[in-house]
Amino acid sequence: MTIASTTQLICFAVLAFTVVAGALGVVLLPNVVYAAFLLGGVFLSVAGLYLMLNASFVAAAQVLVYVGAVNVLILFAIMLVNKREDLSAIPGLALRRVLSGLVCGGLFALLIRVAFTTPWGSGPEPVGDEATIRIGEHLFSDYLLPFELASVLLLMAMIGAIVLARRDVFSQDIATGESVDQGLIEKARTPLLLDRSGR
Amino acid sequence: MSLPGALLTAANPAVDAIGSGTGVSSLALQLNAGAIAPEAAVLLALVACLLVDLAGEKAASHWVPPLSYAGLGGSLVLLALQWSPADLQPSFLGSFLADNLAIAFRAVVAASTLITLMLSWRYVERSGTPVGEYAAILLAATLGAMFLCGSTDLVSIFVSLETLSVASYLLSGYMKRDARSSEAALKYLLVGSAAAAVFLYGASLLYGLTGGSTSLEAVGAALETSASPIAALALVFVLATVAFKIAAVPFHQWTPDVYEGSPTPVVAFLSVGSKAAGFALALRILVGCFGSFDEQWKLLFTVLAVLSMVLGNVVALAQTSMKRMLAYSSIGQAGFVMIGLVCGTEDGYAAMVLYMAAYLFMNLGAFACIILFSLRTGSDRISDYAGLYQKDPLITLGLSLCLLSLGGIPPMLGFFGKIYLFFAGWADGQYLLVVVGLLTSVVSIYYYISVIKMMVVKEPQEASDVVKAYPAISWSLPGLPSLRAALVGCVIVTAVGGILSSPLFTWASQSVSGTPILQATLG
Amino acid sequence: MVSTPAPGTAPGLDAAAGLDLQASFESLLQGLGLSPGAAHLLWLPLPMVLVLVAAVVGVLVNVWLERKISAAVQQRIGPEYAGALGILQPMADGLKLVFKEDIIPARADGLLFTLGPVLVLIPVILSWLVVPFGQNLLISNVGVGIFLWISLSSIQPIGLLMSGYASNNKYSLLGGLRAAAQSISYEIPLALAVLAVVMMSNSLSTVDIVDQQTGAGILSWNIWRQPVGFLIFWICALAECERLPFDLPEAEEELVAGYQTEYAGMKFALFYLGSYINLVLSALLVSVLYLGGWGFPLPVEWLASWLGQPIDAPVVQVITASVGIVMTVLKAYLLVFLAILLRWTTPRVRIDQLLDLGWKFLLPIALVNLLVTAGLKLAFPAFFGG
Repeated sequence: MTIASTTQLICFAVLAFTVVAGALGVVLLPNVVYAAFLLGGVFLSVAGLYLMLNASFVAAAQVLVYVGAVNVLILFAIMLVNKREDLSAIPGLALRRVLSGLVCGGLFALLIRVAFTTPWGSGPEPVGDEATIRIGEHLFSDYLLPFELASVLLLMAMIGAIVLARRDVFSQDIATGESVDQGLIEKARTPLLLDRSGR
Repeated sequence: MSLPGALLTAANPAVDAIGSGTGVSSLALQLNAGAIAPEAAVLLALVACLLVDLAGEKAASHWVPPLSYAGLGGSLVLLALQWSPADLQPSFLGSFLADNLAIAFRAVVAASTLITLMLSWRYVERSGTPVGEYAAILLAATLGAMFLCGSTDLVSIFVSLETLSVASYLLSGYMKRDARSSEAALKYLLVGSAAAAVFLYGASLLYGLTGGSTSLEAVGAALETSASPIAALALVFVLATVAFKIAAVPFHQWTPDVYEGSPTPVVAFLSVGSKAAGFALALRILVGCFGSFDEQWKLLFTVLAVLSMVLGNVVALAQTSMKRMLAYSSIGQAGFVMIGLVCGTEDGYAAMVLYMAAYLFMNLGAFACIILFSLRTGSDRISDYAGLYQKDPLITLGLSLCLLSLGGIPPMLGFFGKIYLFFAGWADGQYLLVVVGLLTSVVSIYYYISVIKMMVVKEPQEASDVVKAYPAISWSLPGLPSLRAALVGCVIVTAVGGILSSPLFTWASQSVSGTPILQATLG
Repeated sequence: MVSTPAPGTAPGLDAAAGLDLQASFESLLQGLGLSPGAAHLLWLPLPMVLVLVAAVVGVLVNVWLERKISAAVQQRIGPEYAGALGILQPMADGLKLVFKEDIIPARADGLLFTLGPVLVLIPVILSWLVVPFGQNLLISNVGVGIFLWISLSSIQPIGLLMSGYASNNKYSLLGGLRAAAQSISYEIPLALAVLAVVMMSNSLSTVDIVDQQTGAGILSWNIWRQPVGFLIFWICALAECERLPFDLPEAEEELVAGYQTEYAGMKFALFYLGSYINLVLSALLVSVLYLGGWGFPLPVEWLASWLGQPIDAPVVQVITASVGIVMTVLKAYLLVFLAILLRWTTPRVRIDQLLDLGWKFLLPIALVNLLVTAGLKLAFPAFFGG
C-alpha cells in the first residue's frame, strides 16, 4: 500500500464517519441550533468526499451553495425565531420513534443490499481539473433546457419569497374600496356575509 | 489556452453533434428550439406581467389579464400548429420531445391555466393580494408543468417538476394573512420536498444504471438488461413521486388540507393542470422506460387506482366543505384515469387523454361556480348552498351540470370519458378495476346529487341563512365578466361536448398514434 | 486537501517562466538517496509552514502599519518605545493576548464558543493555498483556484454566527447576524466581479489569471480592462473583511464589540488574526486579479534582453522570482495602506445603507459589468482574452 492510497483511505474513513455521525446528530439532537451547525459539518464533509473523487469544482460549489448559502440561511432563520417553547407532548412518541427507526433501518438495509448486489457499470472517467470546462459544455449543450428553466425557477422563487415576506398590506380592494385582509375569501367559522349583516 | 480546441477535444457524443456543426444557425437547427415555442409564449407573458406590475397595482389589475390571455392563447395556437409533426425530432439534444402526447397534455395544462386565470382576478383582488405576482407565479407553474409533459431526460424532468412544485407551494400560501393558507403551503412544501428527494434518489439509481447518461432513452435501454432489485427500487421511488403529484392513495394525505387552505382558483389549477402534468410524467417514465417491468408497475398502479377510487369517493361522502369534497372527488377521479394507464392499450391511453380533457372542463366549471358563490357569500360550506336555486339560477345550473358530469351521468361529457375508460379497461381484462370503478361511480353520484338536491329541492323557508341574505346579482366589477365567460364556456362544453365529442375522440386517438414511445410499447 | 495531486507542478508549464522550487528540492532529496514518495512527503509541509509564517508576519506588519498610519492621520506619534519606530509593538500586543486569561462566560455554550473563532480563522488560512507569489511559488495551483477562495470565504459567517450565538449575549448575537448578512450580501457582487476576470482569462486558476496579464507590463494589467470590476471587488473585499466603512458587525457605539464582545485572550486573538489575515489576503487577491500579480511594471523579458541575459539563466531566474515576490507583496501592502487610510478617514455606514449598497447598487452594476465584459470579449478578442 502506497502512502497516497493510505492517506486516501484515512481521509475517506474520517469523512465518512463525520457524514454519518453528523447526519445522525442532525436528526436526533433535540437542540435545533446544534442540528443546524452539524448540518453544516455534514455538507463540508460531503464536499470533502467530492474532493476525494477528484471533483474539485463540485466540492467548491457544494461549499459555496450549501454551507455558505443554505446553511447560513437556516441558521439565520433559527436565530431570528429562537423562541423557546414547550410543545405539548405527543402521545406514543416513543413507539413512533421505534417504528420510524425500524422503517429507516429496513430501508437502509435494503439500499445497502441493492447497492452491493448490483453490477454497476464503470461510469465515465473522472476528468479532474477539466471538469469545469466539461460542466460548462454540458450546460450549454445537452443540459441547456434545464439550465434555462432553472433561471425561471429561481426568478419565480425569488418573487414568491418577496411577496410572502413583505410587510405592506393592501388595506382595500382596488376595485371596490372595501377593506380586505389578505386571507381566504371562504371564512373558517363565520361566513363573511352574515358577519357583515350582523354588524 | 485555446478554448474552442479544448471544447472540441473534451467533447462527449452529444457535444460532438454540435462541434461538427458549422455555426450558430446549424446549432439552432440541431437544438430544434421551435418545439418549445408554446412555452416561450408563456414565458413572454410571465415577464410582461412582471414588468407591467412595476407600474403599480392599478395598472397591473388592468393590464395583466389581457397579457396573460395573449400568452396562453398564443401558446395554445402554437400547440395546435405543432400537432402531428411530419418528422418528429428531439429538441435541445434530447432534453425535450414534442410528440403528440406532449402536445395534448401541454394543451390541457395551458387551457387549465387560462381558465383558472379567468376565474382568479376577482378572487385575488377581493382578498387584497397582488395580482401581477399571482399571474406570474401561476404562469411559472404552467411553464414547469408544460415542460414536464415533454421532458425526456431526468435532469429536465426534475427541474420542471421543481418549477411546478415550488410555484404551487407559493400559490398555496398566497393568502399570507390566513393561517389556513400558510398551513397548506407548509404541508405542501414539506411533503413535496420529501417527494422530490425520493425522486432524486430514484433518478440517481437510474443514472448509475446507465453508467453516466440521464436521457430516458438510455435509462430504458439500461433497464432492459439490468438486475431486477435495483430496477424495482428505482421504480418504487419514481412511482412514489408520480403518485404524489397525481394525489393517488396512499400518497394523498396532503390533498384535503392543501385544497382547503389554498385560494380556490389555485385549487382549480392544482386539481387539473398539475395532475395532467403528473399523468404525462407517469406515461413518459413508466411506459417509456420501465417497459420491461410493466407487470410490476401495473400491479402497483392497480392497487393505487383501487385505493384511490374507493377512499376518494367514500370519504368525499362525509365532507361538509365544498372544497374538501372536491379534493376527495379529485382523488377518486385520478383513480379512474389510472385505469387507462394500467390497460396499456391504445384505447387506454386515448381514454386517459380524453378524460383529462373532459375533466378540465367539468372540474373547472364546478370550481367557477364555487368561486362565484364564495365571492358572493364568503362561504364554501355545502349546507350553505341550500335553496340557492331561488336566488342564483346560473350557479345552480352550472354547478349541477358539472357535478352530474363528474359523476358520469349521460349525456354529459364526463359520461363519455368515463365510459371510454371503462370500455378500455374491460377490453383489456381489468375486470377488478372496472367493477370497482363502476361501484365507486355510483357512490360519487350519490354525493354529487346530494349537493344538487340541496340547491334545487329546498323550499325558500328552508334555505340557509347565507342564501337568505344573498346579495343582488351584479357583474359590473372588473374580473367578474371573465369569470362568467369561463363559467358559461365550461358548462356549455360539459353539457354539449358529450354529444359532439367525436372530434375529441379523434384528437385523443391521434395523440396516442402520434407518440413513438406509446407506439413502441403497443408493438 | 493537500493529498490531491497538485497539477500546477505538472509538466507543461513553461520552464522558463520561473523557478520550480519543488522539483529542485525533491531532486536534491532524491540525490541524498530518498525515494520519490518520501521526498514528496518531506516537501509537503514546507510551503504550508512557510505560508503560515508569512501570513502571521504579514499580520504583525499590518498591525504596526495600522497603528503608525492611524497615528499619522491623527497627527500623533504612535508606538515608539518597543523597538525602532515601535516596530516590536505588535509582538508585545500578541504576547499580551497569549498571557491573558481565557474566559468562557458562565451561561455561554462552551463548545460552540471555542469552535467559533477556529471556524473563522481556518477558511482564511486555507485560502492562502491559491495565492501565487510567482509562476510556481504557490502551495497548490488547483484548477478551481479563485473559486476555492470564494467558496472558502463563505464558511466564515458560520463561525461568526456560532460565536455570536454561543456567547449568550444579545450584542454578540446581533453582531453575528449582521456579519452573516453582510457577508452573504457582498459575496454575490464580489463573485460576479471575479467572474468577469475569469471570463477574460478563460481559467479559474490564479496562475493563469496572472499569466494573462503579462506581456506589456503595467499596460496589460486587468485594472485597465476592468476598472468597474476593480472598484466593485475592492468595496466588497472591504465589506467581507468588515473594515470601516463597513464594520457594522463590531460597531462599538451600537453593539459594544459585536460577536467579539465576550471573547478574551487567545480566542479574541484568533478573531483579530483572522480579520488581519483576511485583509492581507484580500489585498493579495486584488493584486493578483487586477494588478498583474507578481508582474513587474516593465516586462521582465525586455529587461533581461536589454541587459543581454538569457531569460532562463539561473541568476536571472532567482532575480525574477525575488522581484515577483517583492512586487506581489508591494502591491498588496499598497492596498493595505489604502484600506487603513480609509478606516481612519471615513465614517461608518448604517446597516440599511450597507445592504442597499450591496443589493441595489453593486449587484446590478456587477451584472452589467459582466455583460459588458462578455460583449467586449466577443467584439475585441485580442484585448479581452479570446
